[in-house]
Amino acid sequence: MARIEQVFDPTAPCENQPRELRRVLDSLSGKVVGFIDNTKPNFNYLVDDLADLLVSKYGVRSVVKRSKRVSSIPAPDALIKELSEECDLVITGSGD
Amino acid sequence: MVCSSAFTTLGRAQASAFGHANLPIGVVPHPFGLRTRDGIRELAEWFVDDVARLACRSGSEEPSAISSGSLPSQRAALLEMAGDLDAFNSLFRERRWSDGLPMVPPTIERVDRMLRYTRRAREEVVGLIAPGFGAATVERIAINGVLAGCDPDYMPVLIAAAEAISTPRFNLQGIQATTNPVAVWLIINGPIAKQLGINGSYNCLGQGTWANATLGRAVRLMLQNIGGALPGEMDRSTHGQPAKYTFCCAENEEANPWEPLHVERGFARGQSTVTVVGISGTVNMNTHAKDAGDLLKIVADTLMQPASNDYWVGGEPWIVFPPEHAEILKRDGLSKADVKRRIWEQAKMVAGRMAAKDLARTAKARRAELGEIGPDTLLPPSTLPEDIGILIAGGPGTHCVCIPSYGNMMRSVTREIISVT
Repeated sequence: MARIEQVFDPTAPCENQPRELRRVLDSLSGKVVGFIDNTKPNFNYLVDDLADLLVSKYGVRSVVKRSKRVSSIPAPDALIKELSEECDLVITGSGD
Repeated sequence: MVCSSAFTTLGRAQASAFGHANLPIGVVPHPFGLRTRDGIRELAEWFVDDVARLACRSGSEEPSAISSGSLPSQRAALLEMAGDLDAFNSLFRERRWSDGLPMVPPTIERVDRMLRYTRRAREEVVGLIAPGFGAATVERIAINGVLAGCDPDYMPVLIAAAEAISTPRFNLQGIQATTNPVAVWLIINGPIAKQLGINGSYNCLGQGTWANATLGRAVRLMLQNIGGALPGEMDRSTHGQPAKYTFCCAENEEANPWEPLHVERGFARGQSTVTVVGISGTVNMNTHAKDAGDLLKIVADTLMQPASNDYWVGGEPWIVFPPEHAEILKRDGLSKADVKRRIWEQAKMVAGRMAAKDLARTAKARRAELGEIGPDTLLPPSTLPEDIGILIAGGPGTHCVCIPSYGNMMRSVTREIISVT
C-alpha cells in the first residue's frame, strides 16, 4: 500500500472582508454620475460620450469627470472622497 | 466598472479581492484602445443602456448579507496524498500551485526546519500580498520557500522580502496585475550574502547558484500562491519575461569602490538587507569604454528607449556596473551620487521620440513634475537623479547591464534581514 504523506497548501485566502453593499438606484433620473478615467487609450472618449448620453437619454442631472495620473496606480484618497460625497454612482475602467 | 472583454476575468477577480464580489461590470469588446473616435461613439450608443441597467439593477441581485467578519484562519491547510514525488507534482500542477517547474513537497518536517530560522510566530502576518490580498504568514512563507527548494537558513531572507514586497510604495498591486513584463528583483547586501552563498560575481544574474535560484523562485511562488496572481487571471502580463521565474543576486561589495547599496540607504555595513525592485528586463551593454565620459554616454544612450516606462511616468532605472567599470568611474573622480547625476543629465530624451499616444499619456502623467510637455521637451528617466539605482555586481569583464524599471510609482524597498543567532 502506498505511503500517505501530509503536505501544506501553499495558497492563502483573501483577507479583505466583503464591504458594505453598494447603493441600489431606482433610476438614473436626477442623479449625479461620476467617472474616473483610468487613462487607458480611448477611455476619455467613452466617458465623454456616455456622459452626454446619460444626461440626454436617462435624465442624469450632472456628471463629474476625474482622471487618475496613470492607470497602474490607485486614485488618490482625496479624489475618492470627493466623488463619494458628490455622486450617486461612480464608474471607472479596467483593461486595454 | 467598465472592462474590455479580455480583462473581465481580472476585473471580477479584483472586485472580489477588494470585497465587492457583486460589483456590476459592463463589458466592451477588446481591443478597446484601437477603436477610432467614431467607433467609440457607436459603442457608447448601445453601451449606455448596459450602464443604466447595471446601475439600477434590482436589490435582489445583491448579496443577501455581509459575512460575519471573522478573518480566515492563519494556519495553512494540510493535504493528505500518496507519498511519492510524481503524485505530489501532479496534484500541485493540476491546482496551479507551481511556477511550471517540479517542486519540493512542503511536508510538516521540511516546513518546521525552515521555521527554526526565525523567532517570529508561524501564524504572524508579515504582509498582505496583492492583488489577491492573501496573508503572507511566517508559515506560508516557509511553505513556499520549501516548494522552491530553499535551504532552511534562507528563511530570514524570505521574511524580509515578504515585508518589502508588501510595502505600499512598492506598488505590488500594479506590478502583479499589469500587462507589463514585471519581475521582482531581489538584491542582497551585507554579511548574509556570503554566509548563504548568494552570488554577486560571475553570472550573478544567471543560472548556477542554488541560493540565487531558489530565493528568487520562492518569492515568485509567494506572489502567485499567496498573492493569487495566476497568469491569465490576475497576472495579466502580455508576455512575461524569464526573470519572472527567479531573479536574485548579491552586490559584489568587495569589488565596490563606493559604499554598498544598503549603506547608501542608511544601514550599517554589518547589517544584511534585501532590496526589491520591480523591473521590466535587462539590456546588456558590451562596451570597452575606458573613461567615465565615454562609459556614461553609452549608459545614457542605452537608457533612452521611447517606449520605456521610466520615461513615460518617471521611474527608477538601474545600472549594474561590473567591478572594472566601477573602477574607471572611481578613478575619474566620480562618487556614486555623481554617476547618478551624470546619467540623469545625459539621459534626458526628446519627448518627440515617443509615439503620439504615448507622448499624450506622458504629458498628463508628468505634468506636475515637468510642466507642459511637448515634442521638444527633454524627459529625464526619473524624477530625481538619486532615483537612479546603481549596483556593483558581476565578475571580470566589460559588460554593464541596464535594468529598466516598471515605473508606475514603483519604488524599490530595502528591509533588514534578521537572522537567528
